[in-house]
Amino acid sequence: MTETELTTPPSGDPTLSDIGTPALACHGISKRFKTIQALDDVSISVPRGSIFGFLGPNGAGKSTLIRVFAGLIAADKGHFDILGNSSLSGHGVRKDMSALVDRADFYKNLSAYQNMKLLGRITGHDSDEHINRLLDLLGLYERRKDKVKTFSQGMKQRLGLAQSLLPNPKLLVLDEPTTGLDPQGMHEIRDFILKIAAEQNVTIFLSSHLLHEVELICSDIALIFNGKLAAQGSMQNIFREIDNVTIELEVEDSKATLDFLEKNDLVTQITPLANAISIEIHYNKIPELIRLMSGAKINIFSVSQRNRLENYFLSLMEGK
Amino acid sequence: MILLKLTQNELYKIFSLVRSYIGIILFTGIVPLILWGYGMGTSHIEAEIESSVSAMFFIEGSPTNGFTAAYFIMNFFWIHIPFLLALVGGDIFAGEHANGTFRVYATRPISRLSIFTSKVLATTIYTFIFVFYFGLLTLGLGLLWHGGGDMLVFHNGVLILESGDALIRFFIAYFFSFMNMVLVSSIAIFFSTMVRNAVGPVIGTMALFIFILMVSTLPLDVFKSIQPYLFTTYFSNWEQAFFDPIPWDDLFRGLGLIVSNIVMYLGIALIIFRRKDILS
Repeated sequence: MTETELTTPPSGDPTLSDIGTPALACHGISKRFKTIQALDDVSISVPRGSIFGFLGPNGAGKSTLIRVFAGLIAADKGHFDILGNSSLSGHGVRKDMSALVDRADFYKNLSAYQNMKLLGRITGHDSDEHINRLLDLLGLYERRKDKVKTFSQGMKQRLGLAQSLLPNPKLLVLDEPTTGLDPQGMHEIRDFILKIAAEQNVTIFLSSHLLHEVELICSDIALIFNGKLAAQGSMQNIFREIDNVTIELEVEDSKATLDFLEKNDLVTQITPLANAISIEIHYNKIPELIRLMSGAKINIFSVSQRNRLENYFLSLMEGK
Repeated sequence: MILLKLTQNELYKIFSLVRSYIGIILFTGIVPLILWGYGMGTSHIEAEIESSVSAMFFIEGSPTNGFTAAYFIMNFFWIHIPFLLALVGGDIFAGEHANGTFRVYATRPISRLSIFTSKVLATTIYTFIFVFYFGLLTLGLGLLWHGGGDMLVFHNGVLILESGDALIRFFIAYFFSFMNMVLVSSIAIFFSTMVRNAVGPVIGTMALFIFILMVSTLPLDVFKSIQPYLFTTYFSNWEQAFFDPIPWDDLFRGLGLIVSNIVMYLGIALIIFRRKDILS
């Protein structure tokens, strides 16, 4: 990149001074509901341009933290910065952020277009062209005049996403966006998240308890248990910490493969499945095993590592 | 500017709800019915008035004209309008909680104070439209149906107001009625900030209104000392606009209490709303 390009970034891109500033930084956030400590001194940092997965079991405090920086509840302690703006400076901190918290809800007696117009008007993003473009992007243009009460859950979720994109946010917070959707709907939302992150230079903060979903699309993650941060970092670094992993081998001759594996001390656990063999092995030993199997003339059709994040997640929970 | 946009949004939401038209539809149906009944049933009253008063005064037009009809209807409805206004005021916050739309709305970069102010402004505008429509229907339709002329008011004897004077006094009466109804809306808003469904605030508003109304009208010595401080004591103060001379001191004393009640209820509602955790 040339110096000229660096000093004149395109509109919407971070400026030089912004580079290195996290999209979202929480500093020691605590929140208590009567007898429950929902958040306990939580500090996280979300890199700009990342798709950040925020993981935790139900009731861990994911939604509470999101509600704090979305302005829905007040923290007892701590503060946060959004794209360099501090929460201590007031509600303006959220000017470049948009959030879809929990399920998408609407004025059900109004149409999709009218719902978009109401929200868009607040931030001055309510031109017909902008609204129609977003409805088209989410595949709702044809139904824009229909009342929301006639929409399916998947359509409502897509409309919620369209609404959250109205102010052209630089940080988009999505709290369990695929909850209640069928597999196709979940797939569509995942594709959409990847698309807007890539095309519109939006940092995505994705809260989910679906580990597979996070593993598929996130570059960075944080894990929370019982209101306390358990881990955070890039997905690559997190996976480097994982020792034993479970992989599935699809081979031509299952019997011969089982005999081979039973004699091999690289593998710690073997489970024959209907169409494959599941084994537990140290992450760093996988290439060696594949080399040995090839040397033993075992024809391997596929090696798939399953539930890496789930293994990590469970190991952390057991450690707690 | 943002307040203007938010208020515009709130008005849009109010007028997109069927419940906002219940009162308007009700009055559109019942006021003409009362005016028709009024025309049918006042001929004997008219004859009686004319026989007793016409010997002393010359009355222009019929003594049971549009002015007296509007006055009669106002007397009848000042206790019913609060219920209809509570339907809208009670829904303004609680309805959003029930729908889950606060979650969407409150995440925008706007202050809670702005949201609150816009909702109060929109409710006040709705209240004004409601009272204005009520006035237009009763007085306008009353004058069209039963004609104008001098207005007879029975207060410490008989007071005859010329039509121009009567019209001005109606405007004064509607202004004070409007302020009373703003108080009702403020109470509904106050209850609306506390709960998550719109039924509670409507019932709460009416229960409080009826309770204070009973205390303010009970002719018992034990309540007499507090009655001047109860807002319902001044709910029929609009009638004083038709006295001669108009007791401005009394009217403004009552208005002062009404306004201080509005400030109190809205002030508490604002504190509740600003501190409220939006969890659903």
